Amino acid sequence: MKRIFKITFMITAITLFLASCVKDLDKLPIDPNTFTSNNVYNNPAAYKQVLAKCYAGLSVSGQEGPSGLPDISGIDEGFGEYIRGYWYHQELTTDEAVIGWNDQTVKNFHSQAWGSSDVFIAAMYYRIFYQISLCNEFIRESTDAKLDERGITGDDRTNIHYYRAEARFLRALSYYHALDLFANVPFVTENDKVEKFFPPQIKRADLFIYIENELKAIEPLMINAKANEYGRADKACVWTLLAKLYLNAAIYTGTDRSTECITYCKNVMDAAYTLEPQYKNLFLADNNLSNEIIFPVEFDGMRTQTWGGTTFIAEAAIGGSMVPTDYGFSGGWGGTRVTKAFVQKFYPNLQKGLWSSPTPPKKTKSYPVLYVPGSYQTPVWDPTNTTTVVASVASDGKYEGYLELPAGAEFKFCPQPNWDHSWGGANGILDPNGGNITVADAGYYKINVDTVALTYTLVNTTWAVIGDATPGAWSTDSPMTYDPATGLWKVILDLTAGGLKFRANGAWDINYGDKLPADGILEAGGDNIVIPAAGTFTITMKLGYPDYTYSIVTYTPPPPPSVDSRAMFWTAGQSLDINDITSFTDGYAITKWKNVTSTGVPGSNQKYADIDFPMFRLADVYLMYAEAVLRGGGGGDLNTALTLVNDLRTRAYGDANGNITADKLDLSFILDERARELYWEGYRRTDLIRFGQFTNGTYVWPWKGNAKDGIATLPMYNIFPIPAADVSANPKLVQNPGY
Amino acid sequence: MKKRILWLRYLFIFLAFASASVVYAQEITVTGKVKDAADGSSIPGVTIVVKGTTTGTISDIDGNYTIKVQPGAILVFSYMGYQTQEVPVAGKLVINISLAASVTSLNEVVVIGYGTVKKQDATGSVSAIDSKDFNQGAISSPQQLIVGKIAGVQVTTLGGAPGGDAVIRIRGNVSINGNNDPLVVIDGVPIDNDATSGARGSLSMINPDDIETYTVLKDASATAIYGSRASKGVIIITTKKGKATAGTGTAKKFVHEYSGNISIYTVPKTVSVLNGDEFRALVKQKYPSDTGLLGTSNTNWQKQIFRTGISTDHNFSFYGGLKYLPYRVSLGYMYQDGILKTDNMKRASIGVNLSPSFFDDHLKINVNAKYMSIDNRFADQGAIGDAIAFDPTQPVNDTKNRSGYWMWTQASGIPVTQATTNPAALLDLKQDKAKVNRFLGNIQLDYKLHFFPDLRAVLNLGMDHTRANGTVYVPEYASWLYTDLGQDNRYSQDKDNSLLDFYLNYVKDVKSIKSKFDVMAGYSWQHFYVSNVNINNNVPHDTAHAADILLKKQYFLLSFYGRLNYTLMNRYLLTFTLRDDGDSKFSSNTRWGLFPSAALAWKINDEAFLRNSKAVSQLKLRVGWGETGNEEVGDNWYPYLPVYLLSDRFSMYQFGNIWYQTLRPGGYDAKIKWETTATTNVGIDFGFLKDRITGSLEYYYKKITDLLNYIPVPAGTNLSNFIWTNIGNMQNSGVEFTLDLKPVVTKDWNWDFNFNVATNKNKITKLTVTDDPNYPGILVGGISGGVGNTVQVQSVGYPMNSFYVYQQVYDANGNPIEGLYVDRNHDGKITDADRYRYKSANPDVTFGVSTTLKFKQWTLATAGHASVGNYMYDNIAANRGVWNNLYRPEGPYLGNVATSVYDVNFTNQQFLSDYYVKNASFFKLDYLTLSYSFGNVIKNTTDLRLSFTVNNVFTITKYKGIDPEVNLGSSVGIDNNVYPRSRVFVLGVNLLF
Repeated sequence: MKRIFKITFMITAITLFLASCVKDLDKLPIDPNTFTSNNVYNNPAAYKQVLAKCYAGLSVSGQEGPSGLPDISGIDEGFGEYIRGYWYHQELTTDEAVIGWNDQTVKNFHSQAWGSSDVFIAAMYYRIFYQISLCNEFIRESTDAKLDERGITGDDRTNIHYYRAEARFLRALSYYHALDLFANVPFVTENDKVEKFFPPQIKRADLFIYIENELKAIEPLMINAKANEYGRADKACVWTLLAKLYLNAAIYTGTDRSTECITYCKNVMDAAYTLEPQYKNLFLADNNLSNEIIFPVEFDGMRTQTWGGTTFIAEAAIGGSMVPTDYGFSGGWGGTRVTKAFVQKFYPNLQKGLWSSPTPPKKTKSYPVLYVPGSYQTPVWDPTNTTTVVASVASDGKYEGYLELPAGAEFKFCPQPNWDHSWGGANGILDPNGGNITVADAGYYKINVDTVALTYTLVNTTWAVIGDATPGAWSTDSPMTYDPATGLWKVILDLTAGGLKFRANGAWDINYGDKLPADGILEAGGDNIVIPAAGTFTITMKLGYPDYTYSIVTYTPPPPPSVDSRAMFWTAGQSLDINDITSFTDGYAITKWKNVTSTGVPGSNQKYADIDFPMFRLADVYLMYAEAVLRGGGGGDLNTALTLVNDLRTRAYGDANGNITADKLDLSFILDERARELYWEGYRRTDLIRFGQFTNGTYVWPWKGNAKDGIATLPMYNIFPIPAADVSANPKLVQNPGY
Repeated sequence: MKKRILWLRYLFIFLAFASASVVYAQEITVTGKVKDAADGSSIPGVTIVVKGTTTGTISDIDGNYTIKVQPGAILVFSYMGYQTQEVPVAGKLVINISLAASVTSLNEVVVIGYGTVKKQDATGSVSAIDSKDFNQGAISSPQQLIVGKIAGVQVTTLGGAPGGDAVIRIRGNVSINGNNDPLVVIDGVPIDNDATSGARGSLSMINPDDIETYTVLKDASATAIYGSRASKGVIIITTKKGKATAGTGTAKKFVHEYSGNISIYTVPKTVSVLNGDEFRALVKQKYPSDTGLLGTSNTNWQKQIFRTGISTDHNFSFYGGLKYLPYRVSLGYMYQDGILKTDNMKRASIGVNLSPSFFDDHLKINVNAKYMSIDNRFADQGAIGDAIAFDPTQPVNDTKNRSGYWMWTQASGIPVTQATTNPAALLDLKQDKAKVNRFLGNIQLDYKLHFFPDLRAVLNLGMDHTRANGTVYVPEYASWLYTDLGQDNRYSQDKDNSLLDFYLNYVKDVKSIKSKFDVMAGYSWQHFYVSNVNINNNVPHDTAHAADILLKKQYFLLSFYGRLNYTLMNRYLLTFTLRDDGDSKFSSNTRWGLFPSAALAWKINDEAFLRNSKAVSQLKLRVGWGETGNEEVGDNWYPYLPVYLLSDRFSMYQFGNIWYQTLRPGGYDAKIKWETTATTNVGIDFGFLKDRITGSLEYYYKKITDLLNYIPVPAGTNLSNFIWTNIGNMQNSGVEFTLDLKPVVTKDWNWDFNFNVATNKNKITKLTVTDDPNYPGILVGGISGGVGNTVQVQSVGYPMNSFYVYQQVYDANGNPIEGLYVDRNHDGKITDADRYRYKSANPDVTFGVSTTLKFKQWTLATAGHASVGNYMYDNIAANRGVWNNLYRPEGPYLGNVATSVYDVNFTNQQFLSDYYVKNASFFKLDYLTLSYSFGNVIKNTTDLRLSFTVNNVFTITKYKGIDPEVNLGSSVGIDNNVYPRSRVFVLGVNLLF
């Protein structure tokens, strides 16, 4: 009995003890910085902090800056930041940017050769849906029913209503990016819970309608344009996004909606936004002061740090001979540059360097000529080429002329532009049945042919000016240089008043002057050319058909790099052409983004930028308006469009010199102007697609399709693939075509 | 004054004890005969020694012997196949003795969860090794004791850093993202696997000299008693106890033991790079316009960062029995300099064990208390890679800049932050120090009920508390932290692990039905708590707002468990276990889980037809099945809760003029639970020729379901793209074979030979919902070079950590062609889709071999281990063995090139070429030791042994990198920046007095 009692007592004691311990399993987090959804929303102030995360999701990569406690996984944290990912997709895929790094598949963006397993594409996709999920959570937790439950009233409640509308705006923004990049995506709203399920896939056109309706629904719920705190969205943000949606509607839905685009552009333009007076200030550390930016994504070197965002955009662009501290950073990452095709948006004729030479003067007279077909021509042996001739100024059977010949060049003389008759020969004797005449050395040859005596002479020449007007007086030549592209001999000299002549090979055997009265035509042994007054002159000489001419004009220094202040290229040590994408010095660098203020003060941190990213700005709205008008949208007019475009160009040039006339304003001008105005701001891919120039061969740029000069690519690349990981995780998803 | 008297008293007692063991008396001659206890036949060749000495003799052909001894001596009779007996002479002149046959090793008792079992009655796969079989030489962490010793237990040290932390894998990996480290139970207290701030690994804090036995539970029938933590296998460590030495009751026995060693750690091999002159010539040739960057020195940077390290290890212990109080006290001190300059670890430890009994042994109490204090200075291991990459033409020092070290600078004089850091500066200027104190202790009360003696009640209270403090200081002029104005961090961590275990054990032998029942049922409560504080004292430009981060978390684990051992006719054994675990990491709907197991064993050698066999001394067939779990979900201890986390002050967002710390809702899976592993195990244990040959052969098959995966969830369904959830299946199967041979056993010669071999085949069988063939899997295996590059993948149908690379194309001479790969999917382009899975980092077969040869007082021992079929990505060759490292335009700066560049002649890195995936099979001789036992050097009471050991003697491999054995835990099979394992020369002393 006693034993049973003891055992019973023991069992009872143990049972009571165990029951109390089981409660230990229900413990909530004990960290003071950690809450659960059950308790966090009881505090009205927490709503704004959760809203701040909805905004910060566009900016930082996790809960620790610049990295740590990441929002999304499966990718380097810096790569998973929203703006950096967006920039990769919108810029690296186009003529505006290449990147040189060995980071995973990053080079596939520019090659347009990405696949469904691409980690960067997955990161952007998941970052977009992270934003959508985050906003859904806030929208779910801020319903009136929930606020009632928690007893939140008064100003708190009013503010939370605004927060909720802003969360819906941010969700719509990310859905817009999903629409543009991925087209057919999973669709979730606040009505879906956080649990295991398979969201349905929404078609691109249906998603368009959802975003349109959602934006229209929140328009009245948002704070008025420019009336909200800096950093938070207002009605103008909704209008701008609607305008962008409608501008691209033909791509998304097959139906043009330019009229609606104009409507919402006008709404924005009627609000109190103004163009930033200095273009460059839009991309500096204190661009938060600008009245042009409609919706910024904020960054701060001390408080909002990330390896993505404007830190990436600005710092990755620094390398080569650029001095990082000039841009407010302690070092450069040596990554991003532009292609030649983009540079040509500012300098259309630019081929090998920034400044092309002037074209030679036009000729008026004509003389009898002998044609000189030969191996040096392009194409070779062409007796019809009228630029490679020798002429008889006196029509006396004695012909003279100058040709630039490579070493070992062979040629003949033909009296007509055909092979009916020709002279060859050797040792200065013309022979109708002779072999080809040859020269051993390359050079600029003076050629004399006597068709009467049947002789010829070849003299290799280099040219100089000499005379008391030149620095070397009559004793020392001032050599000229020959430009094969233009056929001009040229020298820039400081001259004094006096005379000068041209002579070859440092001797007087071959010399030219201009027989008085001077007429600009050179004669052998002619009179000294008179220089009336001292000055710096550009002296050129053309020893070609039909006349030997010269020009001596007052030298004017070349114009400044551009009169368009938006062309911010770094060219020192950079080549225009890209031979090796991995080499930073291949391709011009860009100096648009700088971590210094408009007064030249470096940003708060030399590692992380203070620059806010202008997600929406007024200039884009101007160009959208103009484009929509040109696309035939109603409610706008061409005059306004032209004024708006010229407003931007006036800002760019500093005066009206860059303004265009109405006849120049067409869609192709708009596309190029958008490149000039908005490059490296994340617009380019969408623009090229809207103009049908992103894939296929309508427009190619260096390394498009992974070919040096660019090749056509497949239209499937207009839409990015749904990441394989999500197709695998969600059986309701169908992959985009082609992938 | 009073204090001093107390001290004197202790000293007196100490001396009294010490002298008590020194006894003087005259020698006598003892004779006798040794017989077999079973049949009375005489046994020749029995070794008879005087205990504590090497004085001895051997019985003759008739079993007779004669020996001269002190009257108070103890004789030890030992013979292969018989139980050793100790007999006090106590003045007797004739001592006849009968030796009972032993079932030798199988008669040993092995520790299993919540109890012990005779090895011959074990039904599960249990391997035990005790201190005499441990690895020898320079042992700085407990894991090193068992490298290569147990079939299916792969122990890989993480490199040559002091403290020798290691990764242990029992029968391969069972979890893709969960932790794969086995559960470690020290004296009944399960410890956690989480890294401790400021420490070099959780186990490395324990003094290896305090460890008595390692028991590894491999199959589910053995491990299931540990339920939701048992899938990865269980390692039970028992520490040395006080010994109630022979003659208990005299209460005078007192043994001192000292063991110490001095070790010299040498640098075995460094990476071959260009020297200064070769480098200068190449830069002049390839970058003629940038020769201005060249220096005039010839610096071997690897020589600059490595050194010969010295380590000493001292252990002093004394033990014995004071009346009813057996005790052991140990003091240890280890000092180790890493071969990487400035790297250092010091460990002081004290251990106390008391194991008294009360009430006629009805109540046994066992108290263990261990206190460890570790001082670490960590060397920045980035210096290893930087030493390979740094321009060899530059000098180490430069008095012109403030740091005193040469660095790459911009024209303005400020450092090029992108450039390689001067490795010597990295080591010297960074002061990364930590102090960790840990208390690990338990008190176990084992009470045999007075009123019901078949029932035992056992209560075990344990605690494992760690307090860590560290500082990291880098001066503001250090080139690599120039922008951050240096670094000045303080951190501290408190970790508390508390345990309450209670179980009842009922043992009943029911002779009427030839049955024996052994039933155990218990309850366990365990609490884990971690608190971290990080203080950043120098946030640039913002000194007023020093950033400090506080993170606290805890979890609880509650369990009910039971075991039934049923033995029929002493031949047929059944074990059934069940554990019900409740885990606070999971929601109330999913947190409880049942983990059953069952096993059958048949002792065939006890059947009539084998009982009298001379050839077969043991033969046992075992079959077991069980389910176990794995509940480790990374750092997240609230994976089922919708947790909102506040951002730090560098991740705020501005509204108006105010910056807000943001609140982020985290991803979670409300239905998350542990992953489940079902293991089937079949094994045969055998012993032949009176156990001169013993061993076992086992086959296992593990099927893991509901893998705890950190995996992409359908976009939009959760608050992050990756969450911890249960999805996916995996399997492991393998064969293990162990053989212990004793080829020579004579009085003077004794030769032991142990061999084990294990195979493991791992395959992921399910990873996602849809089994979409276009989904390559989860990319893992991050490498150095570029950002975010990975070379491995977890894919369905392939082993974990399969390499995921392009197939290299070679020219006619067999040289790889840069950037040219096989178009495996024949679509005419090389895209991501042409990557393929090529080999895996996990070995197909592992071997372990060890042997000990004894001749009189000499002992020669050696052990090695081998791995076959493990492949390695040579990240050093891939990243450093290309020409474009010579000149980097983004600085600009110059960098050295590994001479492996001559094998490929690549200009740019080709990270994803399968060329760099190399066969890294190897054999390693882990140690070779020679020792000499001097016996009693002072009277009969002192025993001195000297040993000389070489650790990491040699490696045989085709792999060209520094070391084919690389396992950094998370990135297995990627050879980069690895702290080289030293070759160590050790002189050791053991003194017993």
